[in-house]
Amino acid sequence: MKKFLTAIFAMASASCALAQETTTSPLEISGSVDTYFKYDFAKQPNIGTSFASDHNSVSLGMIDLVLKKKTGKASFVGELSFGPRGQEQSLIDASSGTSSFHIQNLYVNYDFTDQFSMTAGYMGTFIGYEVISPVGNFNYSTSYLFTNGPFQNAGIKATYKFSDKVSLMAGLFNDWNVYTATRGVSSIGGQLMVSPVEGWTAYINVLSGAGGGGYGTIADLTTAYQITDKFKLGLNAANYDINDDAGGYAGAALYPQYAFTDAVALGLRGEYFKYKNVGGVEGDKYTSVTLTANIKSGGLTFIPEVRLDHSGTKPFAKENGMAAPNAGQFSLAAVYAF
Amino acid sequence: MRYILAIALSVFVTSLSAQEKQFPKDETGKFIYYKVVDSLILSKTVLLERAKNFVVSTNKKTMKLESSTDTSILAKGKMIIDKTTLVAGHPSGEVSYDFVFEARAGKYRYWLTNFVFIPYQRDRYGNFVPKTTVGSPLEKSADKLNAGSWKDIQTSTYAKVAKFGDSFKKFLATDKKNSEPVKKETVSTKKW
Repeated sequence: MKKFLTAIFAMASASCALAQETTTSPLEISGSVDTYFKYDFAKQPNIGTSFASDHNSVSLGMIDLVLKKKTGKASFVGELSFGPRGQEQSLIDASSGTSSFHIQNLYVNYDFTDQFSMTAGYMGTFIGYEVISPVGNFNYSTSYLFTNGPFQNAGIKATYKFSDKVSLMAGLFNDWNVYTATRGVSSIGGQLMVSPVEGWTAYINVLSGAGGGGYGTIADLTTAYQITDKFKLGLNAANYDINDDAGGYAGAALYPQYAFTDAVALGLRGEYFKYKNVGGVEGDKYTSVTLTANIKSGGLTFIPEVRLDHSGTKPFAKENGMAAPNAGQFSLAAVYAF
Repeated sequence: MRYILAIALSVFVTSLSAQEKQFPKDETGKFIYYKVVDSLILSKTVLLERAKNFVVSTNKKTMKLESSTDTSILAKGKMIIDKTTLVAGHPSGEVSYDFVFEARAGKYRYWLTNFVFIPYQRDRYGNFVPKTTVGSPLEKSADKLNAGSWKDIQTSTYAKVAKFGDSFKKFLATDKKNSEPVKKETVSTKKW
């Protein structure tokens, strides 16, 4: 172990010395602002989407600010968000009122070589298709797979890029979504990226350890294929098993998207999602269809969206408060990226 | 007062002309950045060696040599287009291009063409990465909603390509790895 650490330290020192000769990139500043109106057909918050939760209200998403700088082979990213989307809607301990912001990313990275890099800090999760930032998603509401999976992982990871078509990441992480580990550095994770043909990228992800609901293992496939210049198809499938049959979930979502012009695109999200049975009690099953348009003008994107969800166990509410198997909503969001 | 007016006018004209600089089109309707440069000091061979060195060594991360003859070089490359404000910004995309260099005795020419733009988007880790693998030809006309930002990309690309062209010319004039062979002066005892 001592020899291994010495070798890493020596590599880092040598690379640092070389890095001093290379140039410094300017400070990158980017971010986004989003706001939305949602109308639930049952006239009350009904569908368990992570964001766009307020009914009949022009509500806030968040302002997201990202800083990045690279000096030689070393770089950092700091991403802070302010607003409901970045606070209590995605950060578990924000509801306690102790946080006025949410760190989305805060990490340092070092490129030892063109192929090998190491990253440490708090990072957006490598699991899943959708992300917290509204700029990174086509749909404004989020899938059940996103809502129930991890949002961020703090830890240390190493990535080796074999070629532009294959790379491998392995890392040690805290439990999900926390700045400070509550159960130690308790998870191990990995990601294999393959790009078999141009335009098609697939990520096979595994994360095992302390997570949502206990210790468990999540296996995830996230892939997207730009089949033509107009048509893109995405897929996310995941299975999460919590140890001792304590629950988890499984599901899949398909994301076909068609760009009519550079400014207008239409996308569908079809999802099947099931909570695992716990103690003989069958978990709820959901099917969901979301039709979304993206209308872009410069940095601004308007996102009108209609979403219909179904579950046989009637977890939704009708307008009169009675249980219902179906729920629907319309939303219109505006997202500005800079 | 006159000086101030003159300075203000020159700044205004400079900024106006900088904004309007766009690529001309070649015979096939594609944007082109084309330059012919007189080079009376350097031989054709040295020019070609320096141009090759510029591609395969100085810009090895962004350029790839496709073919070369004893008078020409064909390479492909890409450059990052920045959306930069006064002090900071971020990459907005990358432009790939074809680079052609030809040398003759006393002069050389080079041009960049076949520009294809691929927009970047921020990924989950806060890094800017290509949004798609299918690019758009830079000379295409954008729809009304995105005409302004597309023109910004064309203008930024022109500025970046012009800077690239200047650095190429400077490199060809000053690269020390491939210098003209120094003629050793010898003393003749036969002629006197």
